[in-house]
Amino acid sequence: MASHLFCGRVNLNILREAARKDLREFLDKCSGSKAIVWDEYLTGPFGLIAQYSLLKEHEVEKMFTLKGGRIPSAAVKNIVFFVRPRLELMDIIAENVASEDKLKPREFHILFVPRRSLLCEQRLKEKGVLNSFTNIDEYILDLIPYDGDLLSMESESSFRVRQSLNECYLENDQTSLYHAAKGLMTLQALYGTIPQIFAFHVANMMLRMKREFAGSHTQILPVFDTLLLLDRNVDLLTPLATQLTYEGLIDEIYGITNGYVKLPPEKFAQKKQGEGGKDLPTEPKKLQLNSAEELYAEIRDKNFNAVGAALSKKAKIISAAFEERHNAKTVGEIKQFVSQLPHMQAARGSLANHTSIAELIKDITISEDFFDSLTVEQEFMTGVDTDKVSTYIEDCIAQKDPLIKILRLVCMQSVCNNGLKQKVLDYYKKEILQTYGYKHILTLKNLEKVGLLKPQSTMRNNYPTIRKTLKLWMEDANEQNPNDISYVYSGYAPLSVRLTQVLARPGWRSIEEVLKILPGPHFEERQQVPTGLHKKRQPGENRTTLVFFLGGVTYAEIAALRFLSHMEDSGTEYIIATTKLINGTSWIKSLMDNPEENLP
Amino acid sequence: MAGILYLMAFVLQKESQKADEYLREIKEQSLLSEAVRQCVEAAGHEHEPETQKTLLRRHFTYRRNDNTHWFTPSLSQLLSLNFPPEQFVSMCRDLRVLNAVRDYTVGIPLTHTQFKQMTVQVLIDRLVYRKLYPLAIEVCRYLKTPEYQGVSRVLKHWACYKVQQKEESDEVIAKAVSVKLADAAGISYSEIATKAYESGRTELAIKLLEFEPRSGEQVPLLLKMKKSPLALSKAIESGDTDLVYTVVMYLKNELNRGDFFMMLRNQPVALSLYKQFCKHQEQDTLKDLFNQDDDHEELGNFYVKASYKDQRLEARVALLQSAVDEYYKAKNDFSAKTTEDEMRLLRFQRKLEEEKGEQLVGFSLHDTMTTLLSVGLHKHAEQLYKDFRVPDKRFWWLKLKALAEKEDWEELEKFGKTKKSPIGYLPFVEVCIKHHNKYEAKKYVSKVTPEQKVKAHLAVGDMEGAAEAAIERRNESEISTVLSRCSATTDHLLMERLNRAKATAVKK
Repeated sequence: MASHLFCGRVNLNILREAARKDLREFLDKCSGSKAIVWDEYLTGPFGLIAQYSLLKEHEVEKMFTLKGGRIPSAAVKNIVFFVRPRLELMDIIAENVASEDKLKPREFHILFVPRRSLLCEQRLKEKGVLNSFTNIDEYILDLIPYDGDLLSMESESSFRVRQSLNECYLENDQTSLYHAAKGLMTLQALYGTIPQIFAFHVANMMLRMKREFAGSHTQILPVFDTLLLLDRNVDLLTPLATQLTYEGLIDEIYGITNGYVKLPPEKFAQKKQGEGGKDLPTEPKKLQLNSAEELYAEIRDKNFNAVGAALSKKAKIISAAFEERHNAKTVGEIKQFVSQLPHMQAARGSLANHTSIAELIKDITISEDFFDSLTVEQEFMTGVDTDKVSTYIEDCIAQKDPLIKILRLVCMQSVCNNGLKQKVLDYYKKEILQTYGYKHILTLKNLEKVGLLKPQSTMRNNYPTIRKTLKLWMEDANEQNPNDISYVYSGYAPLSVRLTQVLARPGWRSIEEVLKILPGPHFEERQQVPTGLHKKRQPGENRTTLVFFLGGVTYAEIAALRFLSHMEDSGTEYIIATTKLINGTSWIKSLMDNPEENLP
Repeated sequence: MAGILYLMAFVLQKESQKADEYLREIKEQSLLSEAVRQCVEAAGHEHEPETQKTLLRRHFTYRRNDNTHWFTPSLSQLLSLNFPPEQFVSMCRDLRVLNAVRDYTVGIPLTHTQFKQMTVQVLIDRLVYRKLYPLAIEVCRYLKTPEYQGVSRVLKHWACYKVQQKEESDEVIAKAVSVKLADAAGISYSEIATKAYESGRTELAIKLLEFEPRSGEQVPLLLKMKKSPLALSKAIESGDTDLVYTVVMYLKNELNRGDFFMMLRNQPVALSLYKQFCKHQEQDTLKDLFNQDDDHEELGNFYVKASYKDQRLEARVALLQSAVDEYYKAKNDFSAKTTEDEMRLLRFQRKLEEEKGEQLVGFSLHDTMTTLLSVGLHKHAEQLYKDFRVPDKRFWWLKLKALAEKEDWEELEKFGKTKKSPIGYLPFVEVCIKHHNKYEAKKYVSKVTPEQKVKAHLAVGDMEGAAEAAIERRNESEISTVLSRCSATTDHLLMERLNRAKATAVKK
């Protein structure tokens, strides 16, 4: 069921099992039949931990979505709320509890995810319902195993939470860093103390962690050698660029949420004979995407231009395998063939799915629009005309292309130019407000607050220095047989991953000039590992580094890190953790502020 | 049999040959291991250390005989024998502990069975209860009890006892505690501090809390002791947002508004969190906070947001005017000017709504102009274009699309002739084609710049024209584009021409 978690270097299933155990224990605390009332946001992340079958085994008979009014009737002994600690949700719960049938009372319980909150309990008390709860508990779900080498906190717009705090205290962010630190503690309890820590821009969290870890040494042989904490602020550019790996493009175009993607159904219609083509499915096709699927694991991180060839190669192998049946003569051979049949059929199904997805994506990537905007992105990244108003962006606004596309491009230009000239910036802003509406003024302000948009200060543009020193632009990126991480953006090597790569070899000392330019100080810390637990590495054995992206990571960055792991003589394997999986669109969206939305 | 073994051991001690006979007897019954086990167990029930030793020694005797070696076995030899030594080792340990507590100075005459039933934990508790801290720690260390349940726990109890010693000064106690507990893992100083506070020693409690590494743990006690400013800074230090909120809400109820705001002012992190809270829960307080800080920029944003919550136009405009004032105070001219523009636009929209009955209020400038054009109010659209200084290019795109959408081809043609198009004529071609009007599209092909000719011809499906243009320009990539669009069956001749031209273009 969770086979995708075993395949990596570190067995992340331990983490999942620990999470499942906690869940079972809580469910058993509320003895008897029960109904779960879900905070809708949580169903996705929980899906990565446990399926309905597990809940059913523990007498969960009904599930409802949390909403005002009365909870639908269900003949169960317990009502269990699974909620995030948010005040507005407490109000709904209070309403639910208050309108409960007094004649047939049921027992109430709350499970806070990921942490219990005094503030919320206070609210329940004010509403006079706190005593109605038999159990109030917390379910610490910080880092959720997402794939064999990937952990995500799946937190909502963690980047935004960071920024909406007073901007002077950006680095003093509380909630998301706190949860990240807690998540790392859980991780170290299961996988041993991480001896070496590198961090960028997250000084406070480092210090806090060090304090909290003191005295909680685990007697486990450390699995990770190094932890690298990367703050998204260090690399604002990468998420803005259009990802060009297969998985990255699926995410850019259709959006992957909690490991699932919803696709337009037309291409997936079952072509069964006799039924005709009349009932085309109208429900979007939902597919789970992870490394448990052999073919997907093979192609997800390829540049999209190399996917076609990989698919056709796979098609040949599969049809050759099916042809084998003609060669099967003896009973033994036939038996052997039949035994492989289910595997082969699964492979064929998976091939059909990915061929359809690839076709859907290709329709978009060959369009002129896609090409034009990619060209402009690449011009910005190589430093062409970043100081002037771009006619392409102007035209896109004039044609009222989607606002997010515009914002992504303008922000990218600003980042690649270390800020825009005041005149240029004001021009863009005015164009955007006149075309898309004045209400976006707050969104623009948010983008300025986080530094994605900014007026050029007297400081000179230092982006070219960073680009050249870190070799962020590779002219001859090989998409088919890559030899450098830049293949994931067809030329642009993601800054975050380049930093990771340099850290492993030859070390950050070689790029001190650039480190000075990048925002925020960088740190190195060592944690005491109990004696006797020092890892003795076999000659030739790789180091394992955990790279933690605070503020989100893109699929293309993950692909680049996987590429580094698999590179011959790289010497390091990477496990990735993040607050959230993002792409430029979801990222910008999380920073948007629409005053019309919260109208009563 | 154990009896026989015991007897044998006794004899053996006197180096008698008879031992061998006894041994053989047991061996014949193949019950040797059982006998050994019983010996070890029997030792456990013995209170006299000398007898314990004899019984335990049997263990070794047997082994030596079995190996027919007569020397003292080393530990490694013991382990290499197939009789598992664990039972023996743990019995030795238990006995040592029991002997220690049975000593007359301690006076806990426990039997081994009692000890096993009540567990080590309880034994340590009893020692702690009798304030025999050093012995309790010895026992923990000797039995290798995990530090958290063992040594640390005992030390915590010791400290809790220590803080109640009235005769010693705060400084002395705090120092003693910190020195003793320095190396112990997982000590909860807040528990010790609570004890101190309960015995009426607030100052000592605060001193002790300083040692608590987890800031979060300090907060509840600090609040209880009414040390709220300290509680707030500790909560902030912990990084736990929820804890900060808890303290902030506590303070909000405790202090008068002015003091509360003052306190927040000195704690920017708490202040920004409280603002977050107010954003969702108490809009008016938010405004007061911004006012207190003279944060005009945020006040402006606040009024902008508020303006969207009001349905009445006058109220909206008034709120926007407040925003404008704030933005000017914040020296944010851009925001002020665009907000003024928005007010102007709203008034214009309202006026036109009343006059023409078109719904416009709340639309963006772009959408307003589009709507006006689509209902034929060209003059009004032009007026906006001029009043708001919309760039020509954008207005041309907008009008082009609006007219095509309306399929007002006549008006579009007129518009195209008003002056030279700032966006060129290729968009005219493409927009017409998008609305499936090839006839109209063709009208603009001739006006397109030479660079875009090929594209324009291709857009209207005129292969000949496209080929002509490409060949004329001797542009290889354009020729190739046209070629790729030719069909081998119908455009045979054209392809030949193109290929020839391509050859010369390449040569060039």
